[in-house]
Amino acid sequence: MAETRRKAILISPESCIGCRGCQTACKAWNQLPGQKTGDPANFQNPPDLAPTAFNLIRYIEMPGDAGQLRWLFVSRRCMHCGDAGCMKICTAPGALSRTKEGAVVYDQDKCIGCKLCSASCPFDVPRFDGRDKVVKCHQCHDRTAEGFLPACAKTCPTGAIRFGDRGELIATAKKAGYEKLYGETDLEGLGTLYAFRETPKTYGMIENPAVPESVVFWHRVLKPLSVIGTGAAVALSLIHYIAVPPKRDEEVKRDD
Amino acid sequence: MTDGMIRKAGVFEIVNHWAMSITFLVLGATGFGFLFHMEKMNVIFGDFNRMRTVHNWFGVAFSVLVLFKIVLYLPHVLSFDGDDVRWLLQGGGYLSKNAVVPPQGKLNAGQKLFAAVIIVAGVAMAASGFIIWLMPGVKRWLLLSQLAHNVSFDLLVFAIPIHIYLASLASPGSARIMLSGTVPLAWARKRHAKWVAALESKAAVE
Ligand code: SF4
Ligand code: SF4
Repeated sequence: MAETRRKAILISPESCIGCRGCQTACKAWNQLPGQKTGDPANFQNPPDLAPTAFNLIRYIEMPGDAGQLRWLFVSRRCMHCGDAGCMKICTAPGALSRTKEGAVVYDQDKCIGCKLCSASCPFDVPRFDGRDKVVKCHQCHDRTAEGFLPACAKTCPTGAIRFGDRGELIATAKKAGYEKLYGETDLEGLGTLYAFRETPKTYGMIENPAVPESVVFWHRVLKPLSVIGTGAAVALSLIHYIAVPPKRDEEVKRDD
Repeated sequence: MTDGMIRKAGVFEIVNHWAMSITFLVLGATGFGFLFHMEKMNVIFGDFNRMRTVHNWFGVAFSVLVLFKIVLYLPHVLSFDGDDVRWLLQGGGYLSKNAVVPPQGKLNAGQKLFAAVIIVAGVAMAASGFIIWLMPGVKRWLLLSQLAHNVSFDLLVFAIPIHIYLASLASPGSARIMLSGTVPLAWARKRHAKWVAALESKAAVE
């Protein structure tokens, strides 16, 4: 991946006011219908990512200073991982691919709906529509390719969601006093970065995200072994045939 | 018992064998297609969606054939004995021209081992395949099934070419077991002494 071109989204929960303009803009651009969700326990709605919700503001309530309520707003969406578990496990060529900006995008015509990507994603992102085809945030690649901002970043009134050159975003955040961004190095760098003041856990994010071990083992060992194994079986058979030719029937009879 | 031909495999066993070999070829080829994103497969199947449908339904056929395989061969696998262990330790006599191996039953130890591989890998393949297909909701199960499906795949793509070789080129006269089902008595006595002896003593009693 050409690091110089790689784009990213930088999310700063401390600047987010929870207006959910991004959720609405995402729906508008991607022409996603609303979703009936019942009585939400808090303001978070829908409760989780959905086939009709690629981007979601999570509302986290916790005790704050002097007995006050502390309210955090954290955007959740596809992280556009540098080392993407979804792409690694995908069975259909072209169903998931990476744009030159570094976004992980999908092609529903190519997707065969096996849903393995949902198991291999460390962030539980891929969702499936009515036809069992993958859907998720695609970093508005259809907008960014034309030089426009992703719908969410375009709409955000506070700068809590920013889109730009990945390297520059990191540099700006560092200047603003963030020592290390979430996603700066995890999984060969995430395409969705977070500027956290406290531990990722406070913001409901997993520490040290990783592609599941079984998927890594499959990719590194089992997959090449299938070819090596077949080749070895054929080669061993040939070598054996030459080295220890079969006993012919006369010999069998002579032994009797 | 006259020195003629002796029936080693029944019609059902033979049909099951060839039906399974067809499903294996289709499932193996499409399996490699998914594993390595072989877009050339589209020449045959049109696209990966259709290839998936073919893979799944051949998988159903394969699963049924595995069940028959269990009924047909599990008793043989379970009859694995000391002679079989010694047979395997000697490489079944395949490692030198003059080897003399312990007497064998209707299936030799290698065939029992292969039947066991087919049963174990076949059941793992079928179960994990159905989980991936029909209940992809639970991620832990999905990952476990993906792993089991691929471990079994590796086992089968290694074991089956060896099976084909051992049952054809390496052992002249074997292939006819899965064609006509019968073998010459002398041939059977040489390779499956315990089986022939048991049959003969049974015939003597009757
Ligand atoms: S967050 Fe999940 S869906 Fe998005 S790129 Fe990473 S592995 Fe793929
Ligand atoms: S559901 Fe679609 S995108 Fe996901 S792994 Fe399967 S083919 Fe690939």
